[in-house]
Amino acid sequence: MMALSVLATALRSLTLAQTPLLSSQAVAQIKMGTVLPRTVPQCRGFLTSAFLEQNSTLWKQTEKYTVRPIGMKKTGGRDHTGRIRTHGIGGGHKQRHRMIDFQRLRYEEGKEGKPFEEKVVKVRYDPCRSADIALIAGGYRKRWIIATEKMQMGDIVKTSAVIGRMAVAANEGDSYPLGALSVGTLVNNLEIQPGKGAAYIRAAGTSGVLLRKTNRAVIVQLPSKQQVEVLETCMVTVGRVSNIDHNKRSIGKAGRNRWLGKRPSSGLWQRKGGRFGRKIKPLPPMKSYVNLPSIASI
Amino acid sequence: MRPATVPCVKAAARLCFQTGFSKEWRWLASPGRASFRQAQRHFNVSRCVTAKRPPPRSPKETVEIPGLGVITYGERMHYVPGLAKPVYPLWERAYKDPRFYQALPAHEMRLYKEKPCYVFHQRTSPLEGLRQALWLTKTKMISSLPPQLLSLAESAANQIPDLDERVQKAIKHARFWDTTEERPGKAKYCNALLLNLLHLCATLQTTHSAIGRRMLAERYSLSASWKRGDDLFQIRGQNGFLQNCMDPLPEISGKQEVKDTADHVLENLYPVCPTISLQKVHLYKEEVNCSGFTGDCPYPHAHTLYFLEGADPHWTLRPEQFRTKMVMFAFGNALARAHTLYGNQPQCVLDRPITVQAVGTNGRLFQFMVFQLNTTDLSGDDGIKNQVWLESDVELYDFAKVRPFIKKKQVKVPAGLAGYKPETFSRFMGLYLHGAA
Repeated sequence: MMALSVLATALRSLTLAQTPLLSSQAVAQIKMGTVLPRTVPQCRGFLTSAFLEQNSTLWKQTEKYTVRPIGMKKTGGRDHTGRIRTHGIGGGHKQRHRMIDFQRLRYEEGKEGKPFEEKVVKVRYDPCRSADIALIAGGYRKRWIIATEKMQMGDIVKTSAVIGRMAVAANEGDSYPLGALSVGTLVNNLEIQPGKGAAYIRAAGTSGVLLRKTNRAVIVQLPSKQQVEVLETCMVTVGRVSNIDHNKRSIGKAGRNRWLGKRPSSGLWQRKGGRFGRKIKPLPPMKSYVNLPSIASI
Repeated sequence: MRPATVPCVKAAARLCFQTGFSKEWRWLASPGRASFRQAQRHFNVSRCVTAKRPPPRSPKETVEIPGLGVITYGERMHYVPGLAKPVYPLWERAYKDPRFYQALPAHEMRLYKEKPCYVFHQRTSPLEGLRQALWLTKTKMISSLPPQLLSLAESAANQIPDLDERVQKAIKHARFWDTTEERPGKAKYCNALLLNLLHLCATLQTTHSAIGRRMLAERYSLSASWKRGDDLFQIRGQNGFLQNCMDPLPEISGKQEVKDTADHVLENLYPVCPTISLQKVHLYKEEVNCSGFTGDCPYPHAHTLYFLEGADPHWTLRPEQFRTKMVMFAFGNALARAHTLYGNQPQCVLDRPITVQAVGTNGRLFQFMVFQLNTTDLSGDDGIKNQVWLESDVELYDFAKVRPFIKKKQVKVPAGLAGYKPETFSRFMGLYLHGAA
C-alpha cells in the first residue's frame, strides 16, 4: 500500500516537473541537436531501466559532411543485443573515421551542370580501408576521395558529366561517365546506379576494365572477373586504386593481426563442409543493372 | 534519462528502498555512483538495468486526409490499438527561462542576410596560406625587411650595454627558470620571452623619449570589413599583443613605389576559391569597424602586433598559416584605422599610407613583418596594391635544452642555451625603435 502511494507521488512529481519525461530515443536525439515535437505526455511510460551509452551508434549518424576525422566506437563483432554476431573481431589500434565522398559528381551550390576541377591537397593513409585517401579542394569546399595509383599532392583532377560523341582521352584520377570513356580503360570507384555513389572497385590496387559499349549501357569487368552491365551515365574514376602492393605485404607475426583488430580463430577442429577447398566453376552470368522498359509495358 | 529527472527518480527510489525493493533500485538510488554508464561492469546488477537500447525505429509516416475527422485516444487517457495518436499543440513557456532558450531558425533572426559574409578569425587555418592572404588583402609581398629598418637595427645594437648577455639571460629565464617543474610549457615560455625582450627594448626610453608615448594592450577585439569582387569579407577576433602609439608610423615606400605596385599581378588560386576555409555566415552586421578601442583612446595608432604560437593551446596553426594570420590581422588593424580616418568609402590611394608592424614567434623562430596599407579600394584585382615585407623563420638561438642530448655516449647538444644569434634581437629592436628614433 505504501509502495503504491510512493510510486504515485513519484509519478505526480514527474508530470508536474518543468521538463517532460522523454524516452531514451528522444534524449539521444536532443544530444544530436535535432528539434523534437514538444508534446506533453498524458500517460507516458515510467522508465525503470537505463541503457549503456558506450554501444551507441550515434557517431555514424551525422548527416553533415565534415573533413575532420570522427572518433569511432569499436563493436567487437557484437550486435545491438550484445552477443557476438561475427567472430574474430576485437581490439586493435584506435581508429578515426574520415568521411569519404563516394559521389564524385557532387556539384557546388550554384554551379550545377558544369564540369569542374579540383586540386589534390594531400594523399594519406586511411586506417579504415586498404586504399589511401586524398584530400581534394575545389571551389569553396574540401572533401576526401579514394586516391588513385599515381595521385600526388598538387595534381588537378577533373570531374565531368558530359558524354560526347568522341571518347575522352582521360587522365588518371579524372572522373567521367562510362559512356565518355574508350573501351579498355582501367576504371575504379564504379557507380551501379547513376547518382548513388561508388560502391564497387574501391579496394587497394583494384581496377575494372571497360569491355563493351552499347546503346545505353556499358559492360564493365569487375576485379573478380564478374561482368556487369550498367547505364552509361554512371560515374567512374580512371586508373587503378592506390596502394597497389597491399596484397604483397606479409603480416609477419600474430601481433600485427591483433593490431588490425582481428582476433584469433577457434583452435578446435571443425568438420569441413562443402564450402571449403578450391573450386573451378564457370563465370556466373552477367548481372545487369539497367532497367530497360520491357515490350509488355509499352 | 534526463539529468533533471534523476533526482526525482532517486528520491522515489530512496523511498522505495525502505519498503524492500529489489537491489536495482538500491543501485540507482545510491549517491556515490559515477554514472549509469558504469552499470554493465558491476556483475551483481541484473540485465534489466543494463539492457542495451534497441536500434532506433524510423517514425511512421502519418497520412493526413483533409476534411476527415480523426478519432484519437487522447480523451481516454490511455493507448487504444486502432485509434490514432493525439497531436497536441506545442507548449510555450509563458515567461523567459534562460536555461531553456530555444533559438529561432537562422532566417528569422534580425541580422539575417541573404548574401553570405566570409569571416576570418584567430582560429582560421586557410588552405592556401600566404597566397590566399595576399589575394584577399590585395597585397604585394617582398621577402625581406625594408633597408631602412635593417640599418636602424644595426645602429640600435650598440646602444644597450652588455646587450648579448642580457638577452641570453632573458632567454634562459623564459626557457629554464620561470617554473617549479622541470621545464615551462610553450605558452608560458613564449609569453615570458616576449615580455622580457620588450622590457629590454623599453630600457632605451632614456635615449629615445618617444617610447614613452606607447602602450601595450593584451586582449583587444578587432573587427573590420571590406569587399573583394562580389563577396563581403570581415576580419574579427582577439589576436595577440598590440603596441599602440600616439604618433603614426612613418611610411616605408614612397609615392613612386606605391604607384609601381599597380603593375603587379595577383596570383590566381584556381581551382580553389579564395574564400575556402573562411567561415561563411549569414548573420552579421554590415560595415563593422572597430580597432578594439573607443574613439577617444590617447593611443590610436597601431604600432606593432605580437603573435605567439602557443597562445591557444587547443588550436595550433602550421607555420604557413601562422604567417597568414599575421598578415591578415596587420591588414585588419590598418584597415580599421583607415576607415576611421578616411571613412568607409573605398579610397583608391590613401594620402598617408598606414603602416603596421608585426612580430610572430614560437619561442625560438621569429617572423618579422611590416605591412603598408596604400589603398582601401579592394573590389577589383587591378590598381594600386598594398605592400608587405616579410622575413620568416629567423632563429634567435639553436637549442635551449634542459637536459643534454646524448647519442652513443657523446654529448651532441649540451644543456642550456646554445647557438645564440645576436642579429635577430637587433632586428626585433629595430622594429621596436621604428618611429621613435
